[in-house]
Amino acid sequence: MSKKTINIPLGSQHISLLEPVRFKFECENETIVGVDSDVGFVHRGVERACTTKFKYDAIGYVVARICGLCAITHSLSYTVAIEKLMDAQVNSKIQYLRTLLLELDRIHSHMLCLSHTAESAGFEAMFMRIMGDREDIMEIQELLTGNRIQFDYISIGGVNRDIDSQRAKEITLRLRELEKKIYGYIEEFENNWSLSLKYKGIGRLSLDEAYKFNAIGPLARASGLAIDVRNEIDYLPYKEIGFEMQLHTDGDIHARNSVRLAEILNSIAMCRNILEGLPDGDIFTKIKGKPTGEVLVRYEAPRGELMYYVKGNKTAMLDRVRIKTPTFASIPAFSHIFMGENYADAPAILASFDPCLSCTAK
Amino acid sequence: MLRSLYLALKNLFSKPQTIDYPLTPIPKDKEYRGLIEYSEEDCIYCLKCEKACPPGAILFAPTPNPSENEKNKKGLEYNYNPYLCIYCGECVRACPKPEEALWQSNKKQEVALKEQEVNEKWFALEKKHQAFYQAKRESKS
Amino acid sequence: MQKIEIKITKVREEIASFYEPKVWHFLTLNGVALDEETLEVQWIFSRYEALDDVVIYFSKISYDTLIPSIVELIPSAIISQRELVDMFGVPVEGTEKGLYLDEDSMQKPLAGCKL
Repeated sequence: MSKKTINIPLGSQHISLLEPVRFKFECENETIVGVDSDVGFVHRGVERACTTKFKYDAIGYVVARICGLCAITHSLSYTVAIEKLMDAQVNSKIQYLRTLLLELDRIHSHMLCLSHTAESAGFEAMFMRIMGDREDIMEIQELLTGNRIQFDYISIGGVNRDIDSQRAKEITLRLRELEKKIYGYIEEFENNWSLSLKYKGIGRLSLDEAYKFNAIGPLARASGLAIDVRNEIDYLPYKEIGFEMQLHTDGDIHARNSVRLAEILNSIAMCRNILEGLPDGDIFTKIKGKPTGEVLVRYEAPRGELMYYVKGNKTAMLDRVRIKTPTFASIPAFSHIFMGENYADAPAILASFDPCLSCTAK
Repeated sequence: MLRSLYLALKNLFSKPQTIDYPLTPIPKDKEYRGLIEYSEEDCIYCLKCEKACPPGAILFAPTPNPSENEKNKKGLEYNYNPYLCIYCGECVRACPKPEEALWQSNKKQEVALKEQEVNEKWFALEKKHQAFYQAKRESKS
Repeated sequence: MQKIEIKITKVREEIASFYEPKVWHFLTLNGVALDEETLEVQWIFSRYEALDDVVIYFSKISYDTLIPSIVELIPSAIISQRELVDMFGVPVEGTEKGLYLDEDSMQKPLAGCKL
């Protein structure tokens, strides 16, 4: 029998994808034996714009437009990089408020990913349920920042608006309701028989492979690789507010979902701690000077490690802004995971990576 | 699994989560970040907001019939493009007289129509603005 | 942040002797245009579970120098290498063009960005 392979594309427009990406799968019957990817459909040249078109104090708002889901991590990373270049310190209230929004952002991003993973596995009702409940977290974000998606909450030297006790109370109340719903999801994802057929043992990444391909974010933590930037930085008070790393050992889609669900619970707990113990202080400190030198800042975005390298030269225009986004660094790992899987499972596997292509192509 | 079946059945008879838009308006937070508003009488024409605006949605362009505000020595006029604005509030922070001369409201901008020629008018304004500063620089040197 | 300068011809040896997959996490490859003729290429690593322990290997080269590929050591470097080729127009061993840019788009947008 001759071994003939056929090429089946997934994308660039596909019903299970939110954003344009093309995977070319080389299939032998149903099994994927070769993967080729094209990720550059939404390249906008943000890095060049940051060094030619905008002054350093406006770039925080430019980089937030790279991606709608992790907008806050982008602007925060950039802002912290600039604050480091200008040798400025911000008080702990600002740090706590920044962490609060960062964790709220993680919750809504993870919920989006979970809903799409459920949809790609054919469970439309779960998709509707999670997306409906996600609205709560969007409203919390609007309460805090005044906008649902593009928060523009962080500025160089502080945050843009304060939180009063009434709002804090309402946010706590709503988070408590959300927590109950999350326990409902955990039960569903753990016990639903049809979901387990689509998730368990599929799209597996072993621990050794995770090391080999430098996997990051929930993808790595589901394989048992203890990498979480929140554990490796000290510019935000994660140790004080009760951060716990969530690990799983299976490395399949189910493990990734479990890690995300556990992280949502951990994030809710952290948000509650922040709101309970929010210190007093100003929300803005004026920073003078021009950025000079070079700095590298890392943050944990919902999808993994985000890195900013910024180089300044004492003028208002920067020399270089390098953005390494989480999905970009995970593309080799993604391609590897597809090998040996069934083509029919590809959408669910892809959704479980939570890929963000507008981040990748920037 | 039985529970999810029960929930799915229950959802058949519960109220929809969506809002009957446009018949019912979308509930909006009181402090929703909306349009920037400006009061000409209180403005001191320091042009700080223009410099602070990241997308350049505020332009002080020269006008043939300037206001009678005595601070307005160069004969400029405040122009604001709500379609370019990202509602970040940097201009209000930069303003020496916030809440008096410049403040952020919670109003939303209506959708623009083609007849209004929003872009064309704004581009013309930008050209005028550029030419004004170009001429000033040349007269200085 | 620790910066170590290495020679471009010795890149593979240096990184091979330094890199242990279970200790170091390869972050990315970065290019910084110093001026119209010089490019600084950086290989950035961070240590797992350590507090902000970042090591940058860098090398200053001209735009036509062939950069050795480290894909055999670190398979995930391929994507950063492809980006470097696109953004700066430098040749990297065994790495093709066209991750982001098409043939009719602006070429090497970040090379000598001061223009």
